[in-house]
Amino acid sequence: MIPLWLIPLFPLVGTIVLAIIALSSSDSKQGPAESITGAVAVLFPILSFLSVVTLSVGMPVEGIRGTIGTWIDTAAIQVNIGFLFDGLSRVMLLFITGIGSLIAIYSVGYMHKDRSFARFFAYINLFLFSMTILVLGDSLLLTFLGWEGVGLCSYLLIGFWHTDLKNTKAGNKAFIVNRVGDVGFLLGMLCLVSIGGSALLSYDALNAWLLNALSLGSISNAMPLLSLAGLLFFFGCTGKSAQIPLLTWLPDAMAGPTPVSALIHAATMVTSGVYLLARLSNLFVLIPAVLNIVLFVGLLTAFWAAIAGLFQNGIKKVLAYSTISQLGYMFMAAGVAAFDVSIFHVFTHAFFKAALFLGAGAVIHSLTGEQDMRRMGGLLKKMPLTSLVMIFGFLAIIGFPGFAGFWSKDLILERLYVSGPMGPYVYAIALLTAVITAVYMGRLIIMTFFGKYRGSKENEAHIHEAPATMLIPMLILSVGSAFAGFLWAGLIPGADFFREMLAPVVGAAQAYAELGHTAAHLSPWIFAGLGTLAALIGIAIAWFLFMRPVPEAKGGSEPQGFGASWTFAFDKLHEWIGVIPTKVIAWFLDVVLNNIILAAQWLIGGIIEILGDGVRAFQVRKVRLQAAFSLIGMALITILVLIYGGLL
Amino acid sequence: MELQASYIQIVALALFTIGLAVTLTRRNVFFVLMGIELALNAVNLSLIGFAKTLPAAASVAGQILPLFTIAVAAAEACVGLAMIILIFKSQESVDIDNYSNMKG
Amino acid sequence: MLALIYFIILGVIAVGSALCVLLSRHPLYGALSLVVSMVSLAGIYGLLGSPFVGVVQIMVYAGAIMMLLTFVIMVLNGARDSKTPMFDKVSLFVFPAILVLAALLAFALISTPLAFNAETLRGSVALTSETLFNTSVEGPGYFLLFEVIGLLLLSAMIAAVLLAKKNLGFKETEEITEVH
Repeated sequence: MIPLWLIPLFPLVGTIVLAIIALSSSDSKQGPAESITGAVAVLFPILSFLSVVTLSVGMPVEGIRGTIGTWIDTAAIQVNIGFLFDGLSRVMLLFITGIGSLIAIYSVGYMHKDRSFARFFAYINLFLFSMTILVLGDSLLLTFLGWEGVGLCSYLLIGFWHTDLKNTKAGNKAFIVNRVGDVGFLLGMLCLVSIGGSALLSYDALNAWLLNALSLGSISNAMPLLSLAGLLFFFGCTGKSAQIPLLTWLPDAMAGPTPVSALIHAATMVTSGVYLLARLSNLFVLIPAVLNIVLFVGLLTAFWAAIAGLFQNGIKKVLAYSTISQLGYMFMAAGVAAFDVSIFHVFTHAFFKAALFLGAGAVIHSLTGEQDMRRMGGLLKKMPLTSLVMIFGFLAIIGFPGFAGFWSKDLILERLYVSGPMGPYVYAIALLTAVITAVYMGRLIIMTFFGKYRGSKENEAHIHEAPATMLIPMLILSVGSAFAGFLWAGLIPGADFFREMLAPVVGAAQAYAELGHTAAHLSPWIFAGLGTLAALIGIAIAWFLFMRPVPEAKGGSEPQGFGASWTFAFDKLHEWIGVIPTKVIAWFLDVVLNNIILAAQWLIGGIIEILGDGVRAFQVRKVRLQAAFSLIGMALITILVLIYGGLL
Repeated sequence: MELQASYIQIVALALFTIGLAVTLTRRNVFFVLMGIELALNAVNLSLIGFAKTLPAAASVAGQILPLFTIAVAAAEACVGLAMIILIFKSQESVDIDNYSNMKG
Repeated sequence: MLALIYFIILGVIAVGSALCVLLSRHPLYGALSLVVSMVSLAGIYGLLGSPFVGVVQIMVYAGAIMMLLTFVIMVLNGARDSKTPMFDKVSLFVFPAILVLAALLAFALISTPLAFNAETLRGSVALTSETLFNTSVEGPGYFLLFEVIGLLLLSAMIAAVLLAKKNLGFKETEEITEVH
């Protein structure tokens, strides 16, 4: 059995090697040789993936645990660096390292001839390292380390082309918004520590403690703090997973290179919030009020982002809003305590969202950076393979029967319906969101691949299929987005491999949550039929609305009018809640307080100067005379001492 | 009529005062240096005089400290004379009131 | 009684020759008076039961330091300057200051009860060396101070060589190049 720490070690080594390459070549004009750098960049994620696969094959049901050593050893906090490899982290790691490797291979083609080639891959490897630490850590503190590392890497990669101010601002925004969420995570950990000491930071100890407290009935004493902790952890999750209210950074994150978007959206970063919810499932099922909040935040986010997706013109922006919307689905599933379903949706979503992003990247690459869909069109004939990949991803995301998204979304909708008295209403809105999803994704596909080409002549001349390093990962992912769903096909009896895999981790929690409600079971075929109907209606609407000449593209790709106010609603909200108060405080400090301090400084300086001018008159030039003065001073001190000693 | 401990201190004080006076009133740089040496000697005498008033264990310090004072005085005289030579070469004068290059 | 007589003799010599330093016109006379003062101080040390310090006083102070001083005075013959007055207006101000300070200190000394302690150890060579080089853990630790003093003397020597060499050495090398 290979040790667990190999999994994060490989990307770390890759980071160090690539950082050395990047630094040592920083003086040369051409940069390092792409072949060697690319090979190193791809090798380490693949090695990490292979070790995950090796570990997965022989994993016992209760998981593998390994402790490297003591991390913090103080009177207040004792934390070990330990890794936990169980059903949940296995699934997460498989697609994090697997899809991460595919995206790394793709990036070798995408970042071709970029001067900062090595730096880019150093960041990518660091990203994978942070994410594996996040998922593999056996305590909240180690997860937090990865959580912060992921935030750092997103900042570095979104602002990767840092010579453009817009990109840097987007990177800053991602970092700062994430920090707000991170505060929630930190405070949540503090809540847990104040309940039961630092031992509760470990997942195993936390679960054991909760179980013990539940059986003893002492849980109600800790309930207020536990609820607060759950709420704060959820707040942290909204930051990383781009939920209301901290979702504004994700659309702006499109400023980074496209593989980065794929990596953030599919394999890393945004999935970490869902992971944390599933990891803390035993905590969350005890606090149904917080779970309801999770449900409604997810519902609102999914619906809002789906509408916002309709207004976007940038191809990547549409995908960004679709990611937020799909994350909303995952949070809805977690909100009704269906953690295994939400992780299943993370899993399938990773495939089709990576396929969609890499396809979009190939389109952008061949159009030399054009992202506005109004200047695309008719690419089906020119890039047949890319179109095929995108269409597979499209069918998966709208839930076309048989594709990956169909199975997971279907399960989510079914669980929503049976969740309780509010279930049917939530189900209705979620189904409506599914229709809207099909509409905006259909709009994307139609505007990009059908109709007539509307872009510039120069770009049309060299539209080409992507190179092999980019095509092969795309094709693998499109196959995955077609068939990954069969790991848990609800309609086919016996095909619930995925549920069994996660059962040891979240099964107990879900069984506890389902004690409360026994819903009337409808036939799963009804849900499947309604879901399919929603997808088909959405495609039909998209077909009627958008299969017509697109108006000439004017101005930027940002939405106008009502679309803009809908899209930027939360940016406005942040502006009012966060930015303007900060600016007011900054103005106060800068103008008022600073001037007061300056005035005081000037006043004191002036007084001292005037006094100094006066005192300078007393200065004696002759050294001997100065020494005599100091003697007189000594005599005075002697008199003082004598008086103090009672002699005078 | 016996030797009193305060007599020693009085002699030390007299020597110290004379040393200080030599240092501060004479303008010849050699006298300045000699005055410092005289003052240091007075301090040594004072130390030994005080050592005689202390019990056994503590009095040993009074025998050791003058040795260090003498060593420091030797170092001081060494550097001081070297500086005098240096300054004399450039100023051609031993009057310290002429050494006023650093005057503010 | 005898000790007092010796002390008075030696003390008068010491203070008197110190006054000679203050009042002599030529630095060479001053230096020689200082030597006398130091030798008589060494006698007082011996009288007070510190023969080792007295011997060091004669060897280092009266011997080495004063010899060096006398040597430098003789080398720099310009030390004999009759233009510089012995005392000037500044001295008129300095003297009272010093006297005030001395008077205060004397007052403090006289009003402090001081008495000889019978148990005081004699500062013999054996005692001094044992105390100075007691390297045991609970010892006074003077040996470290001793090392530091050694370092100080070394650095003083280097500083003196560098300072004095700057001008003198340059001329010497010039002469040497002329010879060859």
